[in-house]
Amino acid sequence: MSGGTSQDVAIRGNTVTRIIIHVVLFLFAVYYLLPLWVMLVNSVKPLDEIRGGNMIATPQHWTFEPWLQAWSQAQIGVQATGLKPYFLNSIMMVVPAVAISTILGALNGYVLTKWRFKGDGIVFAMLLLSCFIPFQIVLIPMARVLGVLGLAGTIPGLVLVHVVYGLGFTTLFFRNYYAAFPTELIRAAQIDGAGFFRIFFRILLPSSAPIIVVSVIWQFTNIWNDFLFGASFSDVDSVPMTVALNNLVNSSTGVKEYNVHFAGAILAALPTLIVYVLSGRYFVRGLMAGAVKG
Amino acid sequence: MASLTIRNLKKNYGAVEILKGIDIEIEDGGFLVLVGPSGCGKSTLLNTIAGLEDITSGDILIGDKSIAGLHPSKRDIAMVFQSYALYPNMTVAKNIAFGMEMRGVSKAERDKAVADVAELLQISQLLDRKPSQLSGGQRQRVAMGRALVRDPQVFLFDEPLSNLDAKLRVDMRTEIKRMHLRMATTTVYVTHDQIEALTLATKIAVLKDGELQQFGTPDEIYNDPANVFVAEFMGSPSMNMLTVPVEEDAKGLFLTLTRAGGDALRLPLPASAAMKARIGKPVIFGLRPEAMTDPASADRQGAEILEDQFLVDVVEPAGADVFAVTVLNGTPLTARMKPSARVKEGEMAPFALNLSRAVFFDPDTQVRLR
Repeated sequence: MSGGTSQDVAIRGNTVTRIIIHVVLFLFAVYYLLPLWVMLVNSVKPLDEIRGGNMIATPQHWTFEPWLQAWSQAQIGVQATGLKPYFLNSIMMVVPAVAISTILGALNGYVLTKWRFKGDGIVFAMLLLSCFIPFQIVLIPMARVLGVLGLAGTIPGLVLVHVVYGLGFTTLFFRNYYAAFPTELIRAAQIDGAGFFRIFFRILLPSSAPIIVVSVIWQFTNIWNDFLFGASFSDVDSVPMTVALNNLVNSSTGVKEYNVHFAGAILAALPTLIVYVLSGRYFVRGLMAGAVKG
Repeated sequence: MASLTIRNLKKNYGAVEILKGIDIEIEDGGFLVLVGPSGCGKSTLLNTIAGLEDITSGDILIGDKSIAGLHPSKRDIAMVFQSYALYPNMTVAKNIAFGMEMRGVSKAERDKAVADVAELLQISQLLDRKPSQLSGGQRQRVAMGRALVRDPQVFLFDEPLSNLDAKLRVDMRTEIKRMHLRMATTTVYVTHDQIEALTLATKIAVLKDGELQQFGTPDEIYNDPANVFVAEFMGSPSMNMLTVPVEEDAKGLFLTLTRAGGDALRLPLPASAAMKARIGKPVIFGLRPEAMTDPASADRQGAEILEDQFLVDVVEPAGADVFAVTVLNGTPLTARMKPSARVKEGEMAPFALNLSRAVFFDPDTQVRLR
């Protein structure tokens, strides 16, 4: 080591240490990216080539047939529709569920910080508690509620389930973010004559971009990736992507078409990946902003 | 424009009394400063006037109309906050126009009003900027612009200068004073800075622990304090105070002050009834530093001056003044002198005590003896 610990010279980056750190980081990156690599290369190989052995190797014959199959032809359940209709089901479930839970979380955070009322701490604590309740516990009561509401087995029913389950998290995000938001601004707006919702939509919400991104990414990822609620509360025409993927991969009849399964799995993961890539840098910023003052 | 009247105002948080019956009346166009140490209730009082906090009992009137139950936006007031409270997502122009927009003023009228106010405050070139792109002084101006554009019955200021650096604070203070002279709008201004209070106010209300200690003109508050707290709080350095028993001999009432490097000093007292009642009992004797100075700078007009030699303990030069500390009755007293007075530590120097400006308080009740 070339004097990295010497205190006689100005501090500078130690080259050897740096190289070691970068090599280690590179190995980690490879480790994490390897599964994606396997999925990608095998999804563009013919089935024979996969059976032939090397999972890591690039394909000798490139083919996009598995992707087309997974998207629109593969046998899922009893029908050969591919993942397409289920992908649309998921979109129709995720978009309203994310939007509604984020807006409601923002309103909750606004009320819990700027329109304090007696017992608001208890209300917040109970909402927080909902973050820690395991999914399995709510299955049966939720099934009953959906039955009573007449939403059992429908996409709106799934939206409701995810909104209710996500509200604890979104409220937590927005409450912590708004706790650091100066109350004098609310007072100034009150003197200016703005009411409850005007203050919310004109002053608070436009200043909430970082935490909205956090909430959207968090909710989108969780709801899109959810399997248990999807499997429990969906019917034939409301099955979400994750459940359909399971039905595709776990079908016990016929040949295991690994290349189609890989393509399907990537298709299922694609939307969350896109959301992260587009708004990932706001995610960290927003998490920090919410975390500084709580 | 209108007068502002606060009648027996009380405010409780649960069992805690924050304001214990405040009575204040400020005339149309007056500048009322609420001053006091932190936690005295001055900001709470301002917030109740604004309607941001409700009151427990009492009444608040603008003109002769009670506003106690009204929503803040219906009180015809405008407020400048300590943190300026500019909406971060809006431009300066939108910030200033927001209140008018809420009241349904047409776009054309809003634009004109914004332009007028911006010109008045010399912020026209800033109208398209966001608050985050402004300096502290500029934000302060925008916050004032937002209040001015409303043309309210009463302006409320909540420590508006406390976030500025020292130089800017003095500039903005002058600016606020100039603005008030021009607009002549009734103003209520909260500060903990006694200099701000004295320079800006037409009337000062000194508060402590939710009680009004004294209400009067800056001159009354400074020269004629009602109790020990007001006397000590206003003025810097604060008033010199000694607790001494009142004595009487053939020549009248007097106090005896012992001093280092000299014999005891006889301080003649006015022969008022209040003082006669205190014979043999202690009083607090108070004298402002500027009433205790070098003979050359003593204000002799109609004043009773006591000149003598005192031992200088500490000298604190402060540019325009030199503060000389001398010890009387074991208590250090500060004298404000001209720099030319040439006092030296550990040496005797001539002092002139302006006894006409001496004030006396009852040590038990802390109330002024007249």
